[in-house]
Amino acid sequence: MLEVSNISVAYGKHLAVDSIGLRVAPGEIALILGANGSGKTSLLKAIAGMQPATGASVRLAGRELAGLPAHTIVEAGLALVPEGRGVFGELTVRENLELGAFAKRARPAEAKNLRHVLELFPRLGERLAQQVRTMSGGEQQMVAVGRALMSAPEILLLDEPSLGLSPLMCKELFAALARIRDKGLGILLVEQNAKRSLAIADRGYLIANGRIVGDGSAASLRDDPAVQRAYLGAAEPGRAMPPPDGA
Amino acid sequence: MFTAALTSGLVLGGMYALIAMGLTLQYGVARIMNLAHGELMIAAAFAALWLFTSAAVNPLLGLLIIVPAAFAISGTIYRLLLTPLVRRAPNRDALEVDSILATFGMLFVIQGIMLVMFGGAYFSYSFLAFPVTIAGATVAANRLLALAFAAVIGLALYLYLTRTRLGTAVRAVAVDPQSAPLVAIDVRATAALAFAFGGALVAAAGVLVSMFLTFNANIGVVFTMKALIVVIMGGVGNLLGCLVAGLILGLAETFVATFVDPGLTLATTYALFLIILLVRPQGLFGTASR
Repeated sequence: MLEVSNISVAYGKHLAVDSIGLRVAPGEIALILGANGSGKTSLLKAIAGMQPATGASVRLAGRELAGLPAHTIVEAGLALVPEGRGVFGELTVRENLELGAFAKRARPAEAKNLRHVLELFPRLGERLAQQVRTMSGGEQQMVAVGRALMSAPEILLLDEPSLGLSPLMCKELFAALARIRDKGLGILLVEQNAKRSLAIADRGYLIANGRIVGDGSAASLRDDPAVQRAYLGAAEPGRAMPPPDGA
Repeated sequence: MFTAALTSGLVLGGMYALIAMGLTLQYGVARIMNLAHGELMIAAAFAALWLFTSAAVNPLLGLLIIVPAAFAISGTIYRLLLTPLVRRAPNRDALEVDSILATFGMLFVIQGIMLVMFGGAYFSYSFLAFPVTIAGATVAANRLLALAFAAVIGLALYLYLTRTRLGTAVRAVAVDPQSAPLVAIDVRATAALAFAFGGALVAAAGVLVSMFLTFNANIGVVFTMKALIVVIMGGVGNLLGCLVAGLILGLAETFVATFVDPGLTLATTYALFLIILLVRPQGLFGTASR
């Protein structure tokens, strides 16, 4: 169980994340919907220790992680797939996956986890020796998710994994996320593709201007007419946002 | 004459490659442009000389003492002198500039200590200096031995970096330090490790070079400059690039000195460097770290 409370991120005077609290249970996908610039990326980076946060408590299975360096947080069982994937493009697929298991916690089950990842993304198995930067965006995203899974996390954070993917790749990726959840991992998913992500999520939070402005079960959010406006960023009066491109 | 030039070119090139591998590790992974690199090498050469002449320790055994010592000393230098720079640098480019200034100062400190201890005179010692004939050319046995050791050390480093998990982590920090923490890599500890490894490599080169070259306390800068040229020629952070560029430089210098004019050696070095910068500014094999 991941429990985040009162987390804030400031860039100078601008408060990108304003005292947000949320929780992710094992075996569920919690979704964060919000427009560009609403603070989603800063929130995930702060939870993962990649971005300094103030006043936060980030507890994973009761252990306090706030303030720890990012590499230690991975060791505690929380893995982030960042926006833009963060894969090692110059290295091969196999090397990326091996590095995923660099954390000591991941060593004992490394072979088993590798098997799981290759079952989940059979395409990676065919391309173990390929240099990652020569692969398509969707394949690189698979490497990024696979690498995160190799660290044997309890909680997986994903920042807009569908960004720039073809609809087909997107479908494949979301199906994989649902299977990862079914294996008992907790997933915190940040997405702009509300339609597809609400279809696999269990619960969701709506975020605007760094604050949580609503939450509920995925089904209730799907049926809520206000959700359309909220995740488009139109919940704030006087702030027009283009509709998502549906990719 | 051709075979003689070829073998001594390979020996010289092998030394350049080893020195440059150390520099490329320090620069590519830790982002420290270490201008005192050659000084550590000459310090190792003096250590080998001292062990050989006063304690009768054969330089190959000396490697076993000097290389681990250089690893420890470089690690300590990183921890005490360079970590404050790493902490305060807002980004890696700023660290690069700071490290150039800091190690430039370090160059004079190490050089000064050596000048006080040994003066400005040239030193050499005679170890396995008997001639060996291969393919009609005569080469001193110590040179061949130095080449063989350089090859073994270079190969061991390459295998370590490409075949082990820790080595792969070192390369990961070189190619993407921002993403490395995502897989539980401690970037600062890895950079310290790479810096220490770089020091160990250049110390090994210093011991090997001391077996067949005369050296003095001022000569480190020459090797630092050549290592820089090799690193840039081969592509920053690229070990195979170091090997090829080092051999090219060693062979070119020796062939020009043998068949044209020994006075043109340095000119050849810079001519090669200029040509590569003009034709392939990213280095022969591209950079692995940018």
